[in-house]
Amino acid sequence: MPSPDTLADVRRSWDVLISLTISDLKVRYGRGGWRLVKWIADPFALVGVYLVLVTLVLDRPGEAPGLSLACAVIPFQLFTTTIVNAMSAVAARRSIVLNMGFNRTLLPLSGALTETVAFGASLLLLALMMAVYGVAPTLDTLWLPVVIATTLLLAVGVAYPAALLGIWMPEIGSFVMSFVRVLFFIAPGLVPLSQISGTAHDLLLINPMTGLFESYRDALLYGDSPGAFELLYPAALGVVLLAVFVPLFRSEQRQFAKIMEP
Amino acid sequence: MDAVSISAKDLGVRFLFDRYQRAVTPALAHLRRGGTQTWGVHEMAFEIGPGEGVALIGPSGSGKTTVLRLIAGVLSPDAGRLDVNGRVGSLLSTEAGLLGLLTGRENAALLGVLAGMSRTQSEAALDQINHATHLEDAFDRPVLSYSEGMKARLGFAVADHTEPDILVLDEVHEALDHEFRQIVAERAHEALSGGGIVIAAGHDHPLLATFCSRALWLTDGKIAADGPFEEVRRAYLGDTA
Repeated sequence: MPSPDTLADVRRSWDVLISLTISDLKVRYGRGGWRLVKWIADPFALVGVYLVLVTLVLDRPGEAPGLSLACAVIPFQLFTTTIVNAMSAVAARRSIVLNMGFNRTLLPLSGALTETVAFGASLLLLALMMAVYGVAPTLDTLWLPVVIATTLLLAVGVAYPAALLGIWMPEIGSFVMSFVRVLFFIAPGLVPLSQISGTAHDLLLINPMTGLFESYRDALLYGDSPGAFELLYPAALGVVLLAVFVPLFRSEQRQFAKIMEP
Repeated sequence: MDAVSISAKDLGVRFLFDRYQRAVTPALAHLRRGGTQTWGVHEMAFEIGPGEGVALIGPSGSGKTTVLRLIAGVLSPDAGRLDVNGRVGSLLSTEAGLLGLLTGRENAALLGVLAGMSRTQSEAALDQINHATHLEDAFDRPVLSYSEGMKARLGFAVADHTEPDILVLDEVHEALDHEFRQIVAERAHEALSGGGIVIAAGHDHPLLATFCSRALWLTDGKIAADGPFEEVRRAYLGDTA
């Protein structure tokens, strides 16, 4: 049975996390209904561009190409925006960090939550694509919450090293984002894994994005349950990242005010 | 609850730099060899008890802000021990912990929670904070449209509303207009008469004298003198004259 002090600490951390996230949403995305339009427009535009690339330029449309692309673009968008958010999570709150003591370990988690709200809105695109291609939900669609939970776990996991990188080496931000973008193209983002063969097929499995993209396709497009490896590998990576970088972030956060001096 | 107090023993804060003289954290210093270090605060010891108003005086770079940041929980000591007993309210920069794109109301709600209030308490306090700041309609405008004085007033009102036992002020009160400086001085006196502590740094000695009976003169991260405010102030001014 948790002690009253523990419960009070949890309640307090929850309040801080929610307050940080609400303020972050307003700072990064503004206010009002237009936010929803932006959250949907971003992945919609990306899917549109890749759809032209896959169907017209590469001529490898495959099955329901718009839905297949959305199954990759939407989780990847969360991964990317979480890293962008995390890399500036501390610097964006510089005035607060330099003014008062609070649980700064919550900052990367709050950034991931902010982007999860946008991710939640963009899931509408998946439903839209299923309707466009006439793909009916099956029992395996029930795997979607598990797939989403795995996506969130990996996103939160990468948020901590990204936040530390943003503090340690803010000058390499553009390089980090280029590297992250490459992860989309060395995963079955544009075409499903089933259309890739040989060594490339095996190498793509190293990328944790591969399992995530295929899990969305399994649950929403193929009517299959995701393979265990597809979900366990990114989930395990998320757990390892949290185990390594949360304690490191907690230790380093005591020093942030020193390196944020003008 | 124990009496409000601040106790420092052999207190030290170390700043690390890489070979290009960029400030780095310890983890990064391990990766980047060939750096240097300096102690911003070194072997500092003092005790502050309930009802004491203490001024930190000294030249720029003497360690005043670092000491205030330690007390506010912004920094942790790298050496020695610091015990702070009581709820701290801090105003350590003219930005006052405010985010420019948020309105005064939104900032107040956020800072209230970060300072220890629940979300419900923080929301319930907003009208009172608006009243205390005299910001009125500006309370619902983005803080980036505020003057330095308006920011400091909002920051102080939020810090004050959390009913701190220990009020920590770093020069920013000097950015306040005459009317609000009066309010700060009154609140400081109320805190002191209620057994709280006020610790403030700045170069406006007449203002500090209104609520500080004691002063610590800092130089090169160490205490050069500790005693009655006027005595220490004269010694400091005599030394720098």
